Amino acid sequence: MRAGVVAFLAPSLVLLTIFVLIPLGWVIRISFNENVGGAYMRSAWVLDNYIQFLGSTWYLVNTLWYTVYIAFFATVLSALLAYPVALYIARSTGFQKSILMTLVLSPLLIGLVTLVYGWIVIFRGGGILNSLLIGLGVYDEPAQYMWNIKGVVILLVYIGMPYMTMSLLDSIERINPFLAEAARNVGANRWTTFWKITFPLTMPGLYAGLVIVFTLNFAAFAVPLMVGPDETRMIGLLIYKEALINNNLPFASSISVIMIAASSVTIIGLGYLFNKMILNKLEAKK
Amino acid sequence: MTHALTQSIWVDGVAKKYGDVSVVDDVSFDVRPGEFVSLLGPSGCGKTTTLRMIAGFVMPSGGRVLVNGADVTYAPPDKRNVGFVFQNYALWPHMTVLENITFGLKLRGRTSTAIRSKADEVLGITGLTGFEGRLPRQLSGGQQQRVALARALALDPALLLMDEPLSNLDRALRITMRRELKQLQSRLNMTTLYVTHDQEEALSMSDRVVIMSGGKIARIAKPREIYEDPRSEFVADFVGNTNFFDGRVVEVADDRAVVQCGASLKFAVTREDSISVGQQVRVLLRPERIRVKNRPEARENELSACIEMIEYFGPTIRYTAKLQSGENLYIETHNTSQDHVIDDQIWIEIEPKHFRLLHRNKA
Repeated sequence: MRAGVVAFLAPSLVLLTIFVLIPLGWVIRISFNENVGGAYMRSAWVLDNYIQFLGSTWYLVNTLWYTVYIAFFATVLSALLAYPVALYIARSTGFQKSILMTLVLSPLLIGLVTLVYGWIVIFRGGGILNSLLIGLGVYDEPAQYMWNIKGVVILLVYIGMPYMTMSLLDSIERINPFLAEAARNVGANRWTTFWKITFPLTMPGLYAGLVIVFTLNFAAFAVPLMVGPDETRMIGLLIYKEALINNNLPFASSISVIMIAASSVTIIGLGYLFNKMILNKLEAKK
Repeated sequence: MTHALTQSIWVDGVAKKYGDVSVVDDVSFDVRPGEFVSLLGPSGCGKTTTLRMIAGFVMPSGGRVLVNGADVTYAPPDKRNVGFVFQNYALWPHMTVLENITFGLKLRGRTSTAIRSKADEVLGITGLTGFEGRLPRQLSGGQQQRVALARALALDPALLLMDEPLSNLDRALRITMRRELKQLQSRLNMTTLYVTHDQEEALSMSDRVVIMSGGKIARIAKPREIYEDPRSEFVADFVGNTNFFDGRVVEVADDRAVVQCGASLKFAVTREDSISVGQQVRVLLRPERIRVKNRPEARENELSACIEMIEYFGPTIRYTAKLQSGENLYIETHNTSQDHVIDDQIWIEIEPKHFRLLHRNKA
């Protein structure tokens, strides 16, 4: 590497090392320590913490798999909701477009806590939504949308939407508009043109959106903490409980390592699928 | 429909406005079966919009578009059966050459044998055999151009519309492709409407040229007529280079008229019927019609001039010369042994039949 390149990269490499690599290494190291009587840890090289997690069907199915499932479900929902929004924004212009973009991005401008409490006001038992639904005669008594897994999914979908929309918007806008015209010209109607031309070409954006939102959802901590049920089984919250409530740092660390591994495997799997399906055709490779 | 037999395309008073801006204004022309017609004009003249209205990508604000006698003015693009070749080819990047070519055939529900044999046919015609499995990005610009053409031809379209299909290619390839395209079009007897801003392309490929300017048609004629007899200053100036002189008709004889252009500049021109003494005219003279010689021979329209600038193009040389009367004159000659340098005194001679006259200040 040339000296100039090194000089440019140095600050971010230093930050990355101090704030990501060293703590990560530390977490990995601690995950092999021994926990003594639920009180303190002892430096060691044991696999007990991993065995405790991976050897338990409850942990594997009811926390790890459950988290993958919820995170993925919420991610797919955001994609389904974001796609039409992104298409609509891509087709609008000028002032209307800036307004729509601002609206989509607005959740990112508000702190997560404010956002979540705002949603609680809307969704809780005596909240705005329930008053409306009861007023309209849809329900007789309030439906419970908060402090259960429904609430977690609703909020994960909501928080994922801006990332998903922007990612999709980017790839929709990259599509040469003549490609759709060419399809219409050879006899494809609007619907066929969308499914055979536009949709496949937005796969890079969909893939990027899925990866970003899935990663965020999988590691979600604040949302399950604030609107989840008392006994939430989302893995991010589990780590928090083990580390700060049960004071079991080695176990919390090993779950963290497992979480990172599971998340990576899912993303790699997703990448493999998308690549096989279409991305390998779109990427420049001679 | 009386026009069905003689007109593959009939554009009848078509207009397009965006808000108050008129992009295409009352444009009418036709393309006959098997004919190659070019829409030629500078950027923004409305030629591409006109083409896109025929393809159905743009809906006209007025007028009618008929394809083989059927009114398709407001028909959606997928119901027109007109082939379209885009300037940037618009090949679907996620599909192979074969998939690009057969997409339309599959939509029409042809059998796989029929699809394969049609694909082989157009691959053969366009010289793409062996490239079926390639993706567009694995092809050169010229090859992509052929795929775009093959894709259009695969559907046996009633006519072929092309939007500056060669403008993204480098010059040498453009000229090769131009010739191939023309040969193919003649061989298939394919009715073609071709949009270009390149006068050479339009003149060399077309049976007729439609020249557009500012959303209107400036002239429809055969290439030779367009060049030799432009009939308007815009056409004369846009197609090729032209020398212009303003003058007044001072004398009309049997077959000659004399035009006085400035105090000491007079041209004897072939008489046109509409000419009369006293008329204000603009004289047009193509630079290659001027004969250059080293000494006077006491002939008609013989003038002396001084060379001020030389542009060497290879096969031709362009001189900018100053006449004794002060006017500048473009002269284009073949690159022969006769060589001139700047400040050379030369003699020029122009045959009267080479002048074209435009009327000025009609009143």
